Amino acid sequence: MIYVENLKKEFKKTIKEPGLKGSIKSFFKPKNEIITAVNDISFHVAKGEVLGFIGPNGAGKSTVIKMLTGILTPTSGRCEINGKIPYKNRKNYVKEIGVVFGQRTQLWWDLALRETYTVLKEIYEVDDESYKKRMAFLNEVLELEEFITSPVRTLSLGQRMRADIAASLLHSPKVLFLDEPTIGLDVVVKDNIRKAIKAINAEENTTVILTTHDLQDVENLCERIVMIDKGSKVFDGEISALKSKFGSSREMKFVPENPESVSALDYKKEFNLRDGDIAVEDDGYTYSVRFNSNKIGVEKLLNYTLSTIHVKDINVGDADIEEIIKGIYRSEVKLDA
Amino acid sequence: MRILHKIHRTFKLHRIFIKQDLKKLMEYKIDFLTGAIGMLLTQAINIFFLSVIFARIPNLEGYSFEQIIFIYGFALLPKSIDHLFFDNLWAIGYFIIRKGDFDKYLTRPVSTLFAVTVEKFQVDAFGELFVGVLLLGYSVPKITLNISFLNVILFIISIIFATFIYTGVKLITSSIAFWTKRSGSIIYMFYMINEFAKYPTTIYNRALRAVITYIVPFAFTAFFPASYFITGGNPWYNIGGTVVMSVILMAVGIFVWNKGVSAYESAGS
Repeated sequence: MIYVENLKKEFKKTIKEPGLKGSIKSFFKPKNEIITAVNDISFHVAKGEVLGFIGPNGAGKSTVIKMLTGILTPTSGRCEINGKIPYKNRKNYVKEIGVVFGQRTQLWWDLALRETYTVLKEIYEVDDESYKKRMAFLNEVLELEEFITSPVRTLSLGQRMRADIAASLLHSPKVLFLDEPTIGLDVVVKDNIRKAIKAINAEENTTVILTTHDLQDVENLCERIVMIDKGSKVFDGEISALKSKFGSSREMKFVPENPESVSALDYKKEFNLRDGDIAVEDDGYTYSVRFNSNKIGVEKLLNYTLSTIHVKDINVGDADIEEIIKGIYRSEVKLDA
Repeated sequence: MRILHKIHRTFKLHRIFIKQDLKKLMEYKIDFLTGAIGMLLTQAINIFFLSVIFARIPNLEGYSFEQIIFIYGFALLPKSIDHLFFDNLWAIGYFIIRKGDFDKYLTRPVSTLFAVTVEKFQVDAFGELFVGVLLLGYSVPKITLNISFLNVILFIISIIFATFIYTGVKLITSSIAFWTKRSGSIIYMFYMINEFAKYPTTIYNRALRAVITYIVPFAFTAFFPASYFITGGNPWYNIGGTVVMSVILMAVGIFVWNKGVSAYESAGS
């Protein structure tokens, strides 16, 4: 369905020295620097799969999505979707995909939403009957009815995102690209959008590629994730594999009776641990201890803590994908994927 | 059938956006009226100065006041029609590319140029169109014109192709933004040369005449075709030149645009 092989994108950037003088200098004698935004990324996605594409800010997620959707031409490498190469024969290719960029709307600012869909119907050449059916389905999963007569500029962010997702699905695409579809939304709207994505995936076996910073999205929607950092792939596999592979990172939280007493705790010395195996953070009230459960057992850690200080509250958290990813982002967990 | 279907679709899309922009016009009445009045004032002052000049001298390089008004009015027609339909090219030069908003046009299964231009119908252009028609209505009965069926056809042809001279110049200059991110000032610089085209080119020196005839050929949007209708002379050069220049500019424009699209770098998000 989707094949990405050794995909690479470089941008040329002019280095400017600060100030007006620097600007003038670089105008006459520009110094260029090549920036590699995406470096040698390969992955495959099967039909009907929901793939989570994650990574910290600036990792190159959007650049990959833009290459897969035909917006950017790769510097080298190839990608093939439905047997088509996005940046060649663009018009033909984009008929089969839907794209949503959470950060910016693709709709027409002053057009009423209903008219927006009429325009898209014409652009994608959807016939009247399929259009009616499709609108009914989208109305059901995304609840557009309440604001369909309003101009796009008057919609709230949550409404706009639903409208954008509906717009990307009007022509029943085989692949749906969602670049941060839940950004800036409240918990209820996020939940609705996730449900809608699930329904769409189930209804027509639509392949979905989703980038997000919200790991709830990933845990809810995806079986598999591809993680990239600094333009390179660092993990590709099932979420459960990520958990069992790196799930040794756990977290204990406690609230001490007397914050000054905490200085008596010295986990590293007590258990003879290295820097990467344990880390303590506090917000002045709650202390959180992240530790590698392969190196130190939960029981020992609890016993030591409780015998050294008095606590008001204590709990040990489960292996949480968010914690694992945080660890990977901070490069604490070594990857050999 | 395929081509008919395409034309039908194009008109349908135009209709939706035109309706939309007319609706907007009703919504922002003050804005529209201020713009239209300002435009009318500018044109009125220009005409006033022309009449002042002609009060002192009976003719300018052999052209009477009414003939000059005819050329002036003629010039406004292609300019306003281009303004009406292809105004969004300015936005390409000023911000659509720089802000990465061009992304959305690339995800649609229609030509990017069509998608960009169809979504704006610049109602401000009605002011220019109105003045242009007014000036033609005033001048035509006062000068000797050979109004034949052929000339009416030639008039329509020259207006259409002259319009695409404007569009071509804007297309080439706005496409530069694909590489430089911003080309608004470049569009402006070349576009403003059209101001010279409203008067007989014979009043300018040779260098300037060469520029507006061969380099940025705005002379073919007004003076040359209009002088054919006034004198009846040299239709091949006066009207044919308009057609040729228009085709060349549009071909170059579309070529540069397509090159630009593949060089497009989007923006971070």
